[in-house]
Amino acid sequence: MVDVKLENVVKTFGDTVALKGINLYIKAGELFTLLGPSGCGKSTTLRIIAGLDFPDSGHIYFGNEDVTYLPSSKRGAVLVFQNYALWPHMTVFDNVAYGLKLRKLPKEEIKRRVEWALELVKLKGYENRYPTQLSGGQQQRVAIARALVVEPKVLLLDEPLSNLDAKLRLEMRSEIRRIQRELGITVIYVTHDQEEAMAISDRIAVMNVGTVEQVGTPRDIYERPKTEFVASFMGKTNVIPAKVVERTGDRVTVEFDGIRLDGLHYTGKEDEVVIVIRPERVKLKPVENAISISGIVDLVEYYGFFIEVVGLFGEERRIIARTISDRDVEGLKPTQPVTFYVNRDDVIILPRQKR
Amino acid sequence: MRVSKWSERLFGTPIFDPVVATSFLFPLLYLISFLIIPVLAMLAIAFVYNGHFSLHWFGSILGSDYYISLPSGDFYKLVTLPSGEQIYYVQGVDFGVILNSLLVSLSVMLLTTILGTIFAFVMARYNFPGKNIVRILLFVPLLVTPFVNVFIVKKMFLPNGLINWLFYDILHIFPHRIVIDGLVGVIIAQTMTYYPIVYLNAYASFINIDPTLEEQAENLGSGGFHLFRTVTLPLALPGIAAGATLVGIFSLEDLAAPIVFQGNPLARKLMSFQIYSAFTSGFNVGSPQLAALAIIMLTIAILMFLGIRKYVSMRQYAMLSKGGRWKPRIAKPKAWQAALIYFLVIPMLLISIFPQVGVVLLAFSESWSGTWPEGFTMQHIMSIVTQPDIERVIMNSVMYSTAAIVVIILLSLTAAYASSRFKKSLLGPVLDSLSTLPIAVPGIVIAMGYFFFFAKAFPDTLLDPTNLLGFNPALVLVLAYSIRRLPFAARSIAAGIQQVHVSLEEAALNLGASRWKALTGILIPLILLNLLGGAMLSFVYCMSETSVSITLGSINPDYYPITARMVELMTSAVGSANLAAALGVFLMTVQIIAIVLANLITKQRYSFIGLT
Repeated sequence: MVDVKLENVVKTFGDTVALKGINLYIKAGELFTLLGPSGCGKSTTLRIIAGLDFPDSGHIYFGNEDVTYLPSSKRGAVLVFQNYALWPHMTVFDNVAYGLKLRKLPKEEIKRRVEWALELVKLKGYENRYPTQLSGGQQQRVAIARALVVEPKVLLLDEPLSNLDAKLRLEMRSEIRRIQRELGITVIYVTHDQEEAMAISDRIAVMNVGTVEQVGTPRDIYERPKTEFVASFMGKTNVIPAKVVERTGDRVTVEFDGIRLDGLHYTGKEDEVVIVIRPERVKLKPVENAISISGIVDLVEYYGFFIEVVGLFGEERRIIARTISDRDVEGLKPTQPVTFYVNRDDVIILPRQKR
Repeated sequence: MRVSKWSERLFGTPIFDPVVATSFLFPLLYLISFLIIPVLAMLAIAFVYNGHFSLHWFGSILGSDYYISLPSGDFYKLVTLPSGEQIYYVQGVDFGVILNSLLVSLSVMLLTTILGTIFAFVMARYNFPGKNIVRILLFVPLLVTPFVNVFIVKKMFLPNGLINWLFYDILHIFPHRIVIDGLVGVIIAQTMTYYPIVYLNAYASFINIDPTLEEQAENLGSGGFHLFRTVTLPLALPGIAAGATLVGIFSLEDLAAPIVFQGNPLARKLMSFQIYSAFTSGFNVGSPQLAALAIIMLTIAILMFLGIRKYVSMRQYAMLSKGGRWKPRIAKPKAWQAALIYFLVIPMLLISIFPQVGVVLLAFSESWSGTWPEGFTMQHIMSIVTQPDIERVIMNSVMYSTAAIVVIILLSLTAAYASSRFKKSLLGPVLDSLSTLPIAVPGIVIAMGYFFFFAKAFPDTLLDPTNLLGFNPALVLVLAYSIRRLPFAARSIAAGIQQVHVSLEEAALNLGASRWKALTGILIPLILLNLLGGAMLSFVYCMSETSVSITLGSINPDYYPITARMVELMTSAVGSANLAAALGVFLMTVQIIAIVLANLITKQRYSFIGLT
């Protein structure tokens, strides 16, 4: 169990810059997630930590040791591949024992440790099966056992749940969390699924086109996004471009489409901003300290455990309100006038990001 | 541990690793030493005249009527036999050596494309009673029986041969008996030998077309020939063209047909034969003019090869499919289609397999002067085990070929591993091109290069071909076989490596394995079947190699490979053709065993010479 530090890691593939100087600090024993859309560089970062790719510049430290150019085989950062990479010509036992045999451990010891690992992932009794005789979830468990059995300094998981069906995904998610807690091991987890990331992680780094946009606890990231990208990547969000027209202390008035909203918290220097409001913070009944937005109903969408009301206002702007109460939406029909209320403290103003 | 920029550039891995470096350097150095250097060194003399750089020899070839001329002679003649009967004698017209070679090659490409595409389309798209028999019959023309099959083709077109018996005596379709010889004989013989190459490529292309593409076209109102012309054929065309080009190159370098038809002077006026005859007639092999001719031949072959690679790489869409379940489009033929299949396609197939059938008949018959052979005998077949000189050539070939496949497997494995796993390497594309290049280098050019190279580099030793009876061709033949047959095994093995996801090796590395361990413990066991398939494939090809075997291999009779003895039997005393046929039957048997074994072991359909 070590802490991992990435210092100004740059990686290019041909003409494309995959990583533009990544800095990260992963504490020993935490479950740290790299989250971002495909192509953001999260898997490249993971492969560089695993030693399967090497950065053009920058450094990687495990504890105090600089491992930047240490070959994968000597690094002890074991990767669980997205496709599991189980060797089809070896049994479950031989797959799991592979790393131990390379370490030239005595036979008894190998047997004991493989049994321990298979028990940990609840696959005892499957030793003599071949990978093709296992279900997707079982293969996943073998891959995890194979990685854990060598007592890695860091366990790396590359989109481990992406090949599983929805139900199994939830099960494996808590399973991974359980194992990580039981062993207290440092885990770096890569996913593009923000819900999965929030559910499983101690901390999350949100990545976008080769840079880290924000690092924080799931709650930080969701409730206090630091950039427009993080705000819009974390679930469905209302994002409205606007301009700061008046500042008093840390409060500002913003304007868009001739609509002015005042008394909002913002300390940034930029005047070109976006207004970010989570749909569940948009209310259909008046609340205290609220701004109000009037428009007409465009759609009412029923999702079962919640309902969304999409409103149109200003110059073809949309706002989404999410509620769990049927009564809130009673009688709301498309084209009817409606007013949305948001507590000023729930409105986030962020500098507009260049595209 | 530091990263090394040059290791990353050369070998695609920033941390230098001896296993990776060897995988690049071994095949690369081998190909440079035994393909590039001998051929270039030899060819360089074509550019020297009176001690200076000069294009003199090229000028002397291109300016000569012998090499390029306006057509002369009659394409066919009506000849009156002593019996008073008139026959058509068809031999083609003379355009000079270079144009003759080109025209023969183009004609063979055209004819094999028509024949191969028709067979492939019928087999890929129609279900008809007897299809399984046809499927087996289609394997027959794939069997390589050097020289003897051409000999049978020639026999088929004699006045009393099978073709005239069938179309003149029985069906009365021919107005007169037709005898083919010269360039036309070469074209017909090569067409019958090589059309399976187009067939295999075209069949694979038709099978690989995503059925939904055709279904969508039908859905939009297309159908019948319009559908074939607008969707099916364009999608299959890259595969068909690749097969046809391969046939064009094979035709260009073919020696069997010109040798069998050499009684007619026109059949001798082909580039391959011109170079070959230098070997048989007193060793002016190293002459600069011949070297210039070899360069011209090599250039044409390489241009064809590069052209098709470019064309195919621009049209890699035959496999463009989004998954989903494929329901192959196999239909029951309509009445008129069935009529075509039974009365045209299958008879054509039967005629096209007759050369192989004829080889077997010849091997078991006492004489064959009429339409059919006469008298059954085991004598020729028994000679394989009783006649010491025949036993010896078989043993020689088995030894040369076995040694060659060991080298071929090592070369293919390292080259395929290097270029598929370390894609960032600058050497990768070089290695890729070099290991497929032997397809485009005519065997006779390699023979010439080796002759020159070994005579100059190792004079008066066992390796010096001018040493005649003091020359042992073993090493030279093993080298030539390993170079010439490399592309075939390399493809099979590269395909195997591509099916093994790279993460399987990375997982091993990541768990602490060295490259060597990951290669020997993970990759090689996973592609073992491909290695075996590749080994068998190359063994068969080595056994039936002709160009180098009948030139460098036929200098010292003690060390003859099979094909050297076969050409000797075919071109010398009467009656020996039966013995050559017996050797042909032996080769066919080896091939059938190899095909069956390869299919059983690898559980995939292996067809020889399949080159898509």
